[in-house]
Amino acid sequence: MFPNNWSDPLSSLPETGLGLPFWGPITWGQIVWAGVLTVPPLIVLLYFLKLKRQPLEVPSTYLWHKSIEDLHVNSIWQRLRRSLLLFLQLLLVALVLLALAGPAWRGTELPGNRFVFLIDNSASMSATDAPPSRLEEAKRRVGELIDQMKSGDTAMIVSFSDVARVEQSFTDNRKLLRHRLASIRQTQRPTSWSEALKVASGLVNPGQSRDAPITEDPETTRAELFIFSDGRFADVKDFSFGNLNPTYVPIGDPAAPNVAITAFGTRRREDKPDMLQAFGRVENFGPKPARVEVELYLNETLAEADDVKAVEVPPGEAQGVAFDLEMIDTGVLKLKLGQADPLEVDNQAWAAVNKPRRTKVLLVAPEASDRPGRPGNEPLWYALTTGRAAELADVTSQTPAWLSTPEYRKAAAGGLFDLMIFDRCAPPAEESKPVLPQSNTWFIGSLPPGAGWTADPKVDVPQIIDTERGHPLMQLAEVSDVLIAEATPLKLPPGATSLIDSSSGPLLAIAPRDSYEDLVLAFELVGTDRVGSNWHVRLSFPLFVMDLLTYFGGRHDPLATGSVRPGQPVNLRTDTPAAELSVVTPSGQTVAIRRGKLDTFLFAGTDQTGIYEVRRGPDAIERFAVNLFDAVESDIKPRPEIKAGHVAVAGKPALQPKRREGWKWLVLAAFGVLLFEWYIYNRRVYL
Amino acid sequence: MSTAASPLLSPDLIAQLERLELVSRKVFRGRMKGERRSKRKGQSVEFADFRNYVAGDDLRFIDWNTYARLDRLFLKMFLEEEDLHFYALIDASTSMDFGDPTKLSHAKQLAAALGYIGLVRGDRVRIETLGQPARERAPVLRGRASLWRMLAHLDTIQAGQEGGLTEGVKNFCLRNSGKGIVVLISDLMDKAGYQDALRYLLAQRMDAYIIHVLSAEELDPAIKGDLRLVDSEDDDVAEVTVSAPLMARYKKTLAAFLEGAKDFCSRRGMTYLSASTQVPVERLVTSYLRRRGLVR
Repeated sequence: MFPNNWSDPLSSLPETGLGLPFWGPITWGQIVWAGVLTVPPLIVLLYFLKLKRQPLEVPSTYLWHKSIEDLHVNSIWQRLRRSLLLFLQLLLVALVLLALAGPAWRGTELPGNRFVFLIDNSASMSATDAPPSRLEEAKRRVGELIDQMKSGDTAMIVSFSDVARVEQSFTDNRKLLRHRLASIRQTQRPTSWSEALKVASGLVNPGQSRDAPITEDPETTRAELFIFSDGRFADVKDFSFGNLNPTYVPIGDPAAPNVAITAFGTRRREDKPDMLQAFGRVENFGPKPARVEVELYLNETLAEADDVKAVEVPPGEAQGVAFDLEMIDTGVLKLKLGQADPLEVDNQAWAAVNKPRRTKVLLVAPEASDRPGRPGNEPLWYALTTGRAAELADVTSQTPAWLSTPEYRKAAAGGLFDLMIFDRCAPPAEESKPVLPQSNTWFIGSLPPGAGWTADPKVDVPQIIDTERGHPLMQLAEVSDVLIAEATPLKLPPGATSLIDSSSGPLLAIAPRDSYEDLVLAFELVGTDRVGSNWHVRLSFPLFVMDLLTYFGGRHDPLATGSVRPGQPVNLRTDTPAAELSVVTPSGQTVAIRRGKLDTFLFAGTDQTGIYEVRRGPDAIERFAVNLFDAVESDIKPRPEIKAGHVAVAGKPALQPKRREGWKWLVLAAFGVLLFEWYIYNRRVYL
Repeated sequence: MSTAASPLLSPDLIAQLERLELVSRKVFRGRMKGERRSKRKGQSVEFADFRNYVAGDDLRFIDWNTYARLDRLFLKMFLEEEDLHFYALIDASTSMDFGDPTKLSHAKQLAAALGYIGLVRGDRVRIETLGQPARERAPVLRGRASLWRMLAHLDTIQAGQEGGLTEGVKNFCLRNSGKGIVVLISDLMDKAGYQDALRYLLAQRMDAYIIHVLSAEELDPAIKGDLRLVDSEDDDVAEVTVSAPLMARYKKTLAAFLEGAKDFCSRRGMTYLSASTQVPVERLVTSYLRRRGLVR
C-alpha cells in the first residue's frame, strides 16, 4: 500500500550546509521537514489502528448481521474502498510534501505595488502600425498590467500629449482604473513629456509639494513609472525621477513607413504678383524611398490640371512641392498625399485664405521741427509708407502730447491698433489704469513703463555681435554693418528674447505681454539733436520694417495665414464690436466663444486638424487652419530609449520574468483530495 | 443489568385494570368453576338446551313445566361457567436485559398487568419463563388475594436464562397441556428463528398472543463509527462501520423483521403486537391490547 516513491521528497530536501555536525544548529526548515516526513508513516499507523474497532455489546447481532449481509457480497469493493482511502490520504500527503518542496516555473510579474501609467495620446499614437492603433495597443498593455496588479496595489493613470491629464489618481480600484483607461481618447496634439513627468513626480515624490511630510518612508512612496509611448518627444532636462522607477515601453513598429506634410503655405509669386504659389514640404520618415502623389484642392476640388504632383522622397529626407494658382480672394486650400500610411493625420494639410485686412499702425513721435504735421522720424515714416507697406498697413501718426488725452486711453483700451510705435516717448504711467495699450508695441529709444524693462546707463558706440536669426523679425535683417552712436543696453524682463546683442548688452529685445508683444529698441533711430545710428540707411532697415508689419499684422495677411498647431489656443480679433463669435470645427461642431478680458476672443478647442470657420452670426468672417506640421510627431519610429535629466530609460517589456510559485496550486489540489476523501468516507457503504 | 426501578404495578394501573377482563376467542374447558362460560353444560343461570331424560339424570334439572304440557320428561341443561387458563410466557434471556427500562422489566410489567386482570376475574394465572427447567412448574395463581404471590414470583425472574426460543416454547407446551390464553413476551431475537417456536404454540391450540418487545437501542440505535458489535448471548461478533447509509439499511432490515413476524402471526391466527419499551405498559394494556382483543 505504501507508495514506493515516498522517499522522493527527501531528495528535494534543502541543503543543510556542508560540514555541519549532525547536532549542529537545527534550522527551522529541518524541523518542518522532520515533522512533515513523519506524516506518511503516521497515516499508515492510524490506518492500522483504525482496523481495531471499538467493541460494543448489543442485545443481539441478529439484525446487524442481516443488515451487512448484502455488503459482504460486495466485499471486494469494501477492500478497494479501504485502499482507496489510504491511497487518497497518501496522495494528500504527497501533494503537501510536493508543495513544501516549493516547485516553481518561469512566469512574469508586475514589480512594485504603486504604479503610475503614463499613456501617450499624442498625434503619433494614432498610427495604425500596431493595430488598431498605437494608443489602443498601449491601453491594452496597461489593461494587462492592471490585471496583474495584486490586491492592495495602487495605480494612477496619466495621459499626455502636449498637456498632461490625470485620468485617475492613485486608487486600488481596478474596475475604476479600467474604466478610466478605456476613456482615454486619441488627440492630434504634439507631445511634451515634461508636464506628464512633473504631474507624476509631484504626486509621488515628497518634498516637492509644500504639504508633503518630509519624514515619509521612501518605501511607501516608491512608485513604478510605466511610460507607454513611441518616445517621439523631446528629452526632458533638469528632471530627477526621485522615487519613481521608470520603465519605458515602446509602442509601435520601428520599420513603420510614414510620409508627412510638414509645411504648407501660400505666397504671392514675386515675379507675377497676380499669381499665387502654394508650396508644401513632404518628408519621408520611413526606412524606404517613397513615391507619393501630392494633390492640391481648392475648396475641396482639384483646381488645376497640374494639381497632382508626384514626388520621390528618399528616406529621411524632405521634398518641396509648389503649385501655381490664380490669385484668390478667399478660400480653403488643402494639400493631400495620395498614398495611405500608418499615420493618417499628417497626410493632409490645410491653408485658409482670408479676406485681406490691413494692419493698423500708429506712430507716436515728436513732430518734426522743420516740417510741421510730419512725425520727426523721417526714415521710419518713409519705411512705413512705401507702396508695398501701404498694401499691408494703414499707418497714422500722433504726437506724444496725444498720449495724455482721453482718446489715447480709449484707443489703448479698445485695441484699435495692431501696432503702436512709440518713438522716444512712452505712454504716461498711471495707477489703476492699463498703462500699455491693448496692442503690440515698439518702443524706440524709450522703455515700456511698468513692464519690467530697465536699461543700463548710456554707452557709446556699442558693437553688434549677434542677432537672433531664428526670430521672424530678424530673418532678413543683416545688421552687422549698422553703426550706433550711443545706446542704453537693456535689462530684459522675464520671458523676453534678445534679438540684437551688442558688446554692452541687448539692443533689441521682444517680450510677450498678455496676448501682445513689446519690442524695445535700445537706441534712437533718429536722435533729437543728431543721428542716433546709421541703420536707416542700410538695406536691412526697410526689410526689418516690412517684417515688422508682417509679423505684427501677419494674422491679417490673406496669404501668409499662419497655421495653428493642434491644441494651441487661437486669439481671434474682430474689427466690429460683437459680444459673441462662433467657431465651426472641422467635425461640424459649433462652439460659441465670448469676448475675453483682453478684448479678444480666445478659442482653445483646436484639437482637430482641419479648417475652422469663425462666424459672427451667420456670416463667416475668417477661417484658420490647424495642421500637425510636426516633424517629431510624424517621425513615428518608436525611439529605443528616452532620456529625462541624466537618466536614459531604455525600452523594455513592462512585465518582468519572475519565479512563479506553484505551491498554492498543490495545496489547492491537496484540499480537493481531502474533500474527495471526506466524500468517499461518508459514502463508503456504497463503495 | 439494571433492575426495574418502577414497581411492576402502580396503583393507578391497578385501578384501570380492575375494569378489564381477559378475553379468549376460543372457549376452553377450565379446571374449576369460574366466571366464564364453558363448553360443558352445568349449573349456572344461563339456559343452554333441552335433552331427553335418561335414567340416572338428576331429577332437579327436569323441566317440570314441559312435562306438564307434553307429558314427557325433558332435562333442562344449563351452560357451565368456568375459569380461564392464562399463561404469560416471558423471555428472560440476556438479550432482554437491554434498554431503559429493560425489555425484561417491561415484559414483567406487562405480565403483571395481564395476570392481575386474570386474578381479578378468577382466572387461572401462571407466569413462566422460557428458560426455566422443563420439569419445573411455576405456581398457579387464582383470585385477587394471589396478587402478591404473583408479584413475588415475577421478582424472582432474572435475566440470563439462556436456552433458545424454540426450546423454551417446546418445554412450556410439554408442561402445560391445557387450553387457554398464552401471551409470549419476547424480543424474538433468536438466530434460529422464531417460526418453530410459534408453530409449537399453534399446535397447542392455545389462544396465542405474541408481544414483541423491542428497546430503543434496537429500534433506533444511537451508535456510530467503526464498531465491533458483540452479541450479548452468544458472543457473536459483527464488525460494522456505522454511517448514515448503513443505518438506513439497518432500519430497513428491522422493519422487514417486524413485518415478517406480524405477517407470520396473522396468517396463523395469532395476535401480534410490537411493543417498544418506550411505550408505557398502561397504554399497551388499556389501548393496544384492547384493540387487539386480548382484554375488554
